[in-house]
Amino acid sequence: MRPLDRYSRQTIFQEIGEEGQLKLLQSKVAVIGMGALGTVIANNLCRAGVGYLRLVDRDYVELSNLQRQTLYNEQDAADQMPKAVAAVKHLEKINSEIQIEAVLKDVNSGNVESILDGMDLVVDGTDNLETRLLINDACLKNNIPWVHGAALAGSGLTMNIIPGQTPCLRCLHPELPAPGSHPTCSTAGVLGMITGIIGCLESTEAIKILIGSPRINRKLCVVNIWYNQFTYLDIEQNPRCLACVEHKFEYLNSVKGSYTVSLCGRDSIQVIPAKAGDIDFQTMAEKLKNLGTVKYNPFTLNFSASNSNLEITLFQDGRAIIKNVKDDQTAKSAYAEYIGL
Amino acid sequence: MIYLDNAATSWPKPECVYEAVNRAMREWGGNPGRSGHKMSLAAGKVLEETRLLLARLFNADNPERIIFTLNATEAINLGLKGILQPGDHLVTGSMEHNSVSRPVEALKEMGITVTKVKTSPLTGINPVDVENAIQENTRMVVLNHASNVTGTLNPIAEIGDICRRHGVVFLVDAAQTAGIVPIDVQKMNISLLAFPGHKGLFGPQGVGGLYIAEDLCLNPLKQGGTGSESKSLLQPLFSPDRYESGTPNMPGIAGLGAGVRFILEQGIDRIRHKEHLLMTKLLSGLHNISRIIVFGPDTPEKRAAVVSIQIKGMDSLEAAMILDQAFEIAVRAGLHCAPDAHRTLGTLENGTIRISLSYYNSEEEIDILLQAVAAIAGQS
Repeated sequence: MRPLDRYSRQTIFQEIGEEGQLKLLQSKVAVIGMGALGTVIANNLCRAGVGYLRLVDRDYVELSNLQRQTLYNEQDAADQMPKAVAAVKHLEKINSEIQIEAVLKDVNSGNVESILDGMDLVVDGTDNLETRLLINDACLKNNIPWVHGAALAGSGLTMNIIPGQTPCLRCLHPELPAPGSHPTCSTAGVLGMITGIIGCLESTEAIKILIGSPRINRKLCVVNIWYNQFTYLDIEQNPRCLACVEHKFEYLNSVKGSYTVSLCGRDSIQVIPAKAGDIDFQTMAEKLKNLGTVKYNPFTLNFSASNSNLEITLFQDGRAIIKNVKDDQTAKSAYAEYIGL
Repeated sequence: MIYLDNAATSWPKPECVYEAVNRAMREWGGNPGRSGHKMSLAAGKVLEETRLLLARLFNADNPERIIFTLNATEAINLGLKGILQPGDHLVTGSMEHNSVSRPVEALKEMGITVTKVKTSPLTGINPVDVENAIQENTRMVVLNHASNVTGTLNPIAEIGDICRRHGVVFLVDAAQTAGIVPIDVQKMNISLLAFPGHKGLFGPQGVGGLYIAEDLCLNPLKQGGTGSESKSLLQPLFSPDRYESGTPNMPGIAGLGAGVRFILEQGIDRIRHKEHLLMTKLLSGLHNISRIIVFGPDTPEKRAAVVSIQIKGMDSLEAAMILDQAFEIAVRAGLHCAPDAHRTLGTLENGTIRISLSYYNSEEEIDILLQAVAAIAGQS
């Protein structure tokens, strides 16, 4: 067999051709977040023959992931495999001719640039806006195109961000929403089909960008599969965008962004969201009631997760004490999962 | 914001402190004691003035026995490690801050034996117990002047007298009392007095000091340039140069000098009186709220301007966060870096909520705090 034969169905497709395939084989792509979106994206890019994949996630496979995170199986959950490691293990059996690297890290302002170093493209598989705005800063600064995607309940969206050519994510979100003001996959649920669709759209765009196709999408694509909507919206660059116009990378330089403080004694960490909110405990209790025990009084809302010993004490301004966690990142992840960052 | 975390660092500072820090950087910007030009001389003058003011505040005869450090912790480390040798015995208390407890633990590894005398949260350490703990090879007694958790004052003068009679070095951690409670190193027979610049003395953070009695020569923690005896590769023997290698924190020292001058002008008795007044109001108010446990002495005379409480059945960290975010009141909760003290109090698990006052707090602020504590205790 000739080297490119395994990609014949893709090279026969004229828009890609052998020339495009060779470009893919020489490309390096980072997938940030190996959940529902990330597994679909990594699977597509691996099979399509992207030469080098860097899969970034520090989480472990759990049974409740299998409904939508298509690379993992029950054995991975039983073994509590790190997602990035499990993904590499499965993908290597699918395509042994490319290089795949597992990075077991949470992306933060300190490490994002080294994680993205040497990459031709970044694809978004994350679960929170704050990390996305950080990736946005790092990619703009280092002139790396990236594909943004997100999904929740039955809907999702995606857009391409090509530095110097398109608007960026901060044009859409000049400021973070107030903490706890928007639902998360834990509180609102998510269908495996929508993450599949958004992940496929993201990986298609990734391939187009890598081969330099003139057909790349320059709009914001919004999909709702339950209410039968598929829309492409025009987006405009914010002429005063701090990130892509003024090159003030506030998330990368940690001027913005949530942070944590360890509290003196015990395994308690305070998470301080980037922006103070005004949380309505009744609404929040409603969101959390199926995930554990919730109690609240005028000052605090106390949540104990039913599937672990995690406890969250949430205050009205959005700050929270996360109990029974060992490190800052676990505290922040718990906040992102249950309250939303 | 009502700021009641003055035991961690005082805020606000007197206006003259902000001005002095600013002027140290804009006008007195030279490196003190290094060059002969006017700007270096101006910095040197401020440095020596601050020494003089501190000597006056603590009644030390010779300002050159006051040396500057990064903070009280560094001063305590210098006091302990500069004196103690393997085979020596050390006496300390059971209500100490980690600034004492941790270096003491490290000294044990180096062959120094330690007796921790049980200390009462209500009356402080008993001088008789200290005297009984002194052995033939006892080289030093190290104690706080006041607990950073309960504010309980130790009978420093009595213990100083015991140390003098037994020829034992007496190191006092004045983190919670310098600038708040009168200290006289001569009358109290204190051989080493470690103090922070940024608490009761109203200086900026990052500066503290150690008073070293005339008859003591310590091994310095570090060696380096002093601007003196520069031909020699050996560290000078004389104070303060022996202990102050490298460029000092001039903006910090200038601010500290202004803070001490403010205290001397106001009078420490007046400062103490104001804090007594506030503490009396606070203690009686707390006793009238149900479900509040107050730790430490009942009367302000027996404590520094610090009080620790718990709300029965409530996590201290949560209570402090409610005070912060719902009532705009800053207090500290948790273990206050003093696990030995919490072991003594039996509060190692939940910690305490610590309210610490300053000359700048008002009676109205105490009223607002009491109302907030009552509201939280009534809700949870």
